[in-house]
Amino acid sequence: MRVPTSERILAYVILIVMAILVLVPVLAGSITAFKPQIIWVSSPPTWIFEPTLENFEFVFFTRKGWVYLRNSLIISGGSVAVALILGVPAAYAFARFRFRSSKALMQWLISLRMIPPIVVGLPFYAMFLYLERGLGIGLRDTFPGLIITYQTFLLPLVIWMMRGYFAELPAAMEESAMVEGYTRLGALWRVVLPVVFPGIVATAILNFIFAWNEFFLALILAGNRTSTLPMTAGTYIVRTRVEWGNLFAVNLIIMVPVIVLTIILRRQLVKGLTFGILE
Amino acid sequence: MKVALTNLVKRFANSDRAAVNELNLVINEGELAVLLGPSGCGKTTTLRMIAGLEQPDSGRIAIAERDITDLAPKDRRVAMVFQNFSMYPTMNVYDNIAFPLHAVKMKRGEIDRTVREVAALVNIDHLLERSVRQVSGGEAQRVALARAMVRRPEVFLMDEPLSNLDAKLRAQLRTEIKRLHQDTGATFVFVTHDQEEAMTLGDKIIVMNKGDIQQVGSPHEVFFAPQNAFVASFVGTPSMNMFEGMVSADDTAGYRVLLPGFELTLPARFHNGLAKMTGNRVIWGIRPEAVRLVAAPGENTVGGEVELVEALGSRDLIFVRAAEQLFGVIVDAQASLAVGAPCHLHFPGAQMHLFAADSERSLQNNLPPSVPP
Repeated sequence: MRVPTSERILAYVILIVMAILVLVPVLAGSITAFKPQIIWVSSPPTWIFEPTLENFEFVFFTRKGWVYLRNSLIISGGSVAVALILGVPAAYAFARFRFRSSKALMQWLISLRMIPPIVVGLPFYAMFLYLERGLGIGLRDTFPGLIITYQTFLLPLVIWMMRGYFAELPAAMEESAMVEGYTRLGALWRVVLPVVFPGIVATAILNFIFAWNEFFLALILAGNRTSTLPMTAGTYIVRTRVEWGNLFAVNLIIMVPVIVLTIILRRQLVKGLTFGILE
Repeated sequence: MKVALTNLVKRFANSDRAAVNELNLVINEGELAVLLGPSGCGKTTTLRMIAGLEQPDSGRIAIAERDITDLAPKDRRVAMVFQNFSMYPTMNVYDNIAFPLHAVKMKRGEIDRTVREVAALVNIDHLLERSVRQVSGGEAQRVALARAMVRRPEVFLMDEPLSNLDAKLRAQLRTEIKRLHQDTGATFVFVTHDQEEAMTLGDKIIVMNKGDIQQVGSPHEVFFAPQNAFVASFVGTPSMNMFEGMVSADDTAGYRVLLPGFELTLPARFHNGLAKMTGNRVIWGIRPEAVRLVAAPGENTVGGEVELVEALGSRDLIFVRAAEQLFGVIVDAQASLAVGAPCHLHFPGAQMHLFAADSERSLQNNLPPSVPP
């Protein structure tokens, strides 16, 4: 399809304006991350300086940033893994079978996404407290505790996205495999999952980003042992001042893994998000 | 292998009518049976129950006297080709054909030999390394056929496998399926809504409508001796001319049928069926191929003029307005008439069909009638 030049120009103008709006603050902040402390907030801003890694050294080693990075990776990776293991088969069931109140269940799942985290965070905190005191099961400030809590938000997203991918496929695909000697689970594993793999990647990335950026639930339910990167970012905003250079250094540490992940998997991601239309 | 369906019933939750209603059917070993009917008639549901993809509410399915009603699809030793699915998209042609063999843990060398042998049978041995993107629709359906054959099933089930192909390819693959059936000697159950496909393929045609079998017979039987008005109207293109009318007795102990605008003398073979039917409503019909153009009015003849001409190639389908009705008539292209030309239509008694209007059952008592040369 030929797009007229005028429309093409208009599209580029809009995209450039949006890119400036989005990228300038990020860039300005990222530059600050490499500034020595003395010129963090100089006025007017200093644009020419000798870049330094001292902010990164400070947040990563002195303030134990590597520990929080590890925590974030464990919690986000674990949450996505659990959400996929539980959610993908559930999505398949929703896509292929009609069972009692299956429609209502799907709507209930989407409604979970609309709940503000505070409404979920406090009851979880209370439940964890009761479990700890009543049964001696400690979930506060543990990785499993946070991973369980994040399922409230990750599972609905996994189920809704994956159900879409499964529903796109003709049921005859598994039926064919079932007639050819496989069980339904065998057909799912050997035939269907390879086909929806780009969709699984896209789902995993979106869920990973949610868990990776999540701040509020972590603030309530995590503690010294399980602090995540977004939580530590908050510690650079103190009562008397903002440690701009350190804050932006943490921000970059938060952003870079997501950007790298997206670049590595971008072909699968685009394929998954567009059902392969853009190939 | 013989396939026997006994009192098969299938209901779906969202419909009060049974999708398949007390169905009884025997398909003999080596037969190519075609389930024919309009959409929603239960033909695909029947096929899916044989495959095990639908569970019947009651009834019994047996293949070669082995009761398979409660077996999983994978244990039924059947193969199926689908309408809207032909190739597993993440595997190339070779792996597609090998896929059913991995399920039975066949040795690598034997798999390779079998795949190449079967691929050659359906003329895709040059495509083995191709991916799903690099094969055409017709080739993909050959892959599906190869995958069906590779396990040497007892019964082949085909759910409208040719419907998504263009006309030329469809005719070509139809011939190949017929040849496959002859070469393998296996039992085939083929589902289609296309009566031409059913006629050209089938040894036995099972006409279905609304969950019930309407007629089981050879292609000639369902065409020349339809047992009810549904079969008469569904089988044959262009479709049969059918009109509702009333039976009346005439002075010579025969019967006539009074139709809107004209009346006809009925041949003797209807007499038994028409006893006590005088005054009753009937459906009278005659195929467009059976109507004769004659020069002058006479017995069982109506006059009219040509309203529309459709060229079919060597023959034309003309529509004649006569006695205020529209008749389809098949004529030789050379003998065809121009629009507006006057003509007389003669209806030979030997090729008339007559059905009771209420039950729609044929009133002919000596089935099957003479098949015209």
